[in-house]
Amino acid sequence: MEAALEPFREAYASEQPWLVAQFLSPLVRPEDAGRLYDFIRSSNEHQIEGDIRYALKYSRRSRMTPAESSAWTDIFVCYWKAVAEILRAEEAFNQSRLGERQLVTVYEAWKELSTTIMKYISNGGIPSWNIVVMYISANHLRVFAIKADEQLAKLKDVTFNTGFSDDIVSTGPRNVKLEEAARVFNKMFALCLGDRNPDVKESRKWGVYYLANLQFKTYFKLNAISLSKNVVRSIEAQRDLPGFELFPKAHRTAYKYYTGVLAFLQEDYAKAEQYLTEAWDLCYADSKKNQELILTYLIPCRLITKHSIPTVALLSPFPRLERIFAPIVACIKKGDLTGFDNALVAGEDELVKRRIYLTLERGRDIALRNLLRKVFLAQGFEDLKEGQAEAHRVRKSRIPIAQFAAALRMGMHGEGSGQVLDEDEVECMLANMIYKGLMKGYISREHAMVVLNKKGAFPGTGV
Amino acid sequence: PKKVVWPEDVKAYTSRALASENEIPGISREDTNTKLKEVLTYHAENDLLQFIRWSTFKLPQDFLAEERGIPPRFEVASLRPQYSPYEDSIERGWMCPPRTNAVMPVPQHTNSRKRKSVDRDDLRADRAPTPPWEKTKPSLESRMTPAPPKAKKRQRKMAKEMLEMNSKFSADLEKRKQRFQNGNAAQVSSPPSPRSPVVEIAPAGPIVGTCQDLKKRYFRLTSEPDPKTVRPQYILEQTLELLNREWAASSKTDNEYTGMCSQFKSLRQDLTVQRIKNAFTVAVYETHARIALEMQDTGEYNQCQSQLRALYKDVAAGNPTEFLAYRILYYVYTRNKTEMNDVLAELTPTDKADGAVNHALDVRSALALGNYHRFFKLYRTSPNMGINLMNHFVERERLAALANMSKAYLTVSLSFLSDKLAFDDNDKCLEFLREKNAQLPIAHLTDKGGVGYTTVRIKECATLFENMRSSAFGKIDIKGQI
Repeated sequence: MEAALEPFREAYASEQPWLVAQFLSPLVRPEDAGRLYDFIRSSNEHQIEGDIRYALKYSRRSRMTPAESSAWTDIFVCYWKAVAEILRAEEAFNQSRLGERQLVTVYEAWKELSTTIMKYISNGGIPSWNIVVMYISANHLRVFAIKADEQLAKLKDVTFNTGFSDDIVSTGPRNVKLEEAARVFNKMFALCLGDRNPDVKESRKWGVYYLANLQFKTYFKLNAISLSKNVVRSIEAQRDLPGFELFPKAHRTAYKYYTGVLAFLQEDYAKAEQYLTEAWDLCYADSKKNQELILTYLIPCRLITKHSIPTVALLSPFPRLERIFAPIVACIKKGDLTGFDNALVAGEDELVKRRIYLTLERGRDIALRNLLRKVFLAQGFEDLKEGQAEAHRVRKSRIPIAQFAAALRMGMHGEGSGQVLDEDEVECMLANMIYKGLMKGYISREHAMVVLNKKGAFPGTGV
Repeated sequence: PKKVVWPEDVKAYTSRALASENEIPGISREDTNTKLKEVLTYHAENDLLQFIRWSTFKLPQDFLAEERGIPPRFEVASLRPQYSPYEDSIERGWMCPPRTNAVMPVPQHTNSRKRKSVDRDDLRADRAPTPPWEKTKPSLESRMTPAPPKAKKRQRKMAKEMLEMNSKFSADLEKRKQRFQNGNAAQVSSPPSPRSPVVEIAPAGPIVGTCQDLKKRYFRLTSEPDPKTVRPQYILEQTLELLNREWAASSKTDNEYTGMCSQFKSLRQDLTVQRIKNAFTVAVYETHARIALEMQDTGEYNQCQSQLRALYKDVAAGNPTEFLAYRILYYVYTRNKTEMNDVLAELTPTDKADGAVNHALDVRSALALGNYHRFFKLYRTSPNMGINLMNHFVERERLAALANMSKAYLTVSLSFLSDKLAFDDNDKCLEFLREKNAQLPIAHLTDKGGVGYTTVRIKECATLFENMRSSAFGKIDIKGQI
């Protein structure tokens, strides 16, 4: 046990939270594959507590206070037990004999570890810089919880009320373990946020954003978006957090991303765009996956706020995004409405999964605008009046509705959409364009014409 | 933790539990104490102290004995429900008198249960509990010392495995029950819950109803119901028919609706306690949902809808697509983007082929793009009871359309507006507009043929309509009912 704990002691003595966290991890690096096994074998269930206590407290090489060493004894006992479960599960899995609730046991053991660490940080048993250890263990807990839930989901289906409610069905308990884990994270978050320590170096506040991000990840998976809002609110309510820029970049990028997505889902596209752009700027240039995630939401956002579409150059390093967005973007540019509709249907599953389908639908407006603009351009110019120079040439601004209708029908003809487009509907669409500010002018029913603004019929497009 | 005042009978219960003459060999005092604390804390926390008849309530050591397979003491009234608020309640008048000919006598029922449990628990043969009315005085056998410790430990381990097996068995049994069910829940009985019945108030098995009354007012249950007050399925079927006829013939006032709701809720309750989950259940919920829609009761409709959603997964009956269409319309009404996304993700090709679902999806996309023309066309042609849901948001969409049109048009004729906004006639349209804007700038003109018509200079009302539209699209308040 002495030897096994040596790296920990070194890391601890030099106050390196990352190394300590690495020691307490359930993962192994390839060059050190036997680490967990060695650790387990260095003791057994009955003696583990004694062994660790001896190694930490009484050994001459340890440099901890007695309080610290008893705290760490507890923590290591939990860790040892958790690792034992993990290895047991791994072996069973390799032999295809994984017990039905075995992953749940792993989860429970690891939860014990995380909550123990939290307990000792909260009562001051171990120094505050160990919040890194705490939140990294929380991250592992999240993974274990997800796996445990997967196992549980295979066991039972919709449960029926056994109690005295009036109705037969209660909403089934899915994701029980992840919900439990979420509560643990919340406690950790509150622990960090509520830290009163005036010394910034000793403060627990440094864990705030990491834990917030962890909670976001969990709530998104649990489909409990409203709970995420609480997290944001608590952070905003806290006055004396260290400046945002002082936190590690990784924490900041993730935080901006999640708050951006939250705003997006609430349809606050202006705020979403701001946050997502910040995340984009902060994002590490090589982490393609993160960039892809940010773009998935930033592109539909920009579509709404700036009516702008991504360039081919932007999409090319991201084949998955290209696949989803490229056809839609092309149709918008061309003003091809049926093409747009088809592309949207083709990508429906993926788009709905990421919740951007409903936003992208609005891209149809821009496609329509582009189409109408083409009609406008095709009308040509007014004849020059007396005394006007060539430079004063102005485009025809009175366009019969029939022209627009024809253009729209051209797109729909032969596609078998089965929808007859009557004049009234065309008028409605034109009215919408005007209302949304994509077109400037007014409709004159008596003359069945659209009178467009001479100075800028289609704002933002140069005509 | 709030301070609990222990009533006298609880104190008496406690002293009986710890009295030496009530000790069961094999169960230590510490165990009894722990169990006692569990029992009391549970009831105290859930405010159930006054509902238990502590004088005859099972002692903690009896619960433990049951769990461990040791023969209990003679006082155990094992199968009679321990809680009976009904006996003390004023609503006795509503309880239907037991009809001896139709009633399944309870001891028989007990025996069938006993038989089942003996079949399953061969190892617990010594544990056959007999109801108190079959025993007149304490028998010596029940106070015999149990088997030697070694066997007990094995027994306990077996008992634990039995527990797990039993829960699996009961789940399978439930499924099989559903398949062979012919409407009579009487044959159904799962083995009595081997777990300590104190921790969950769950009844030991589905109740068999014996009540013959067709109508029954609704009361919320707080404990196990008396089978005499629960109606079996064949009665409930007649009830549903009766309610349907009554509703069709009624004038659909609010009072009548409240009465109808109460009847339906008690119907649902009876189905729940008897664990009846079949096509009939689906029909009940669907009917109640439709009536709620008709009366614009979104809260009740929602409750039924969520139950139906889960029922459709297990029971292949009813009209799932009709209600899926309602769900979609409801999410349009509440503008619940997240749920809408989920619904879209779950749609199957069969769903998409259904007329009602298609209609609802078209409504959604029309509104998403602001295509009021299509929206109002769809409003006029909505199938089933969709129109009741659409009525909830038709007004705000009218305001949206007006805001739209007032920016795009200068002047329009009243008939144009009336047609576009799907009003039955021009007058209704005018009424609506006047209600929103007293200073409506209208003009009465005559056309070439001498026919009078009205125009509205809506461009002037643009800001007004825009403001009204914004406030109409503020947060939807569903008054706390999900």
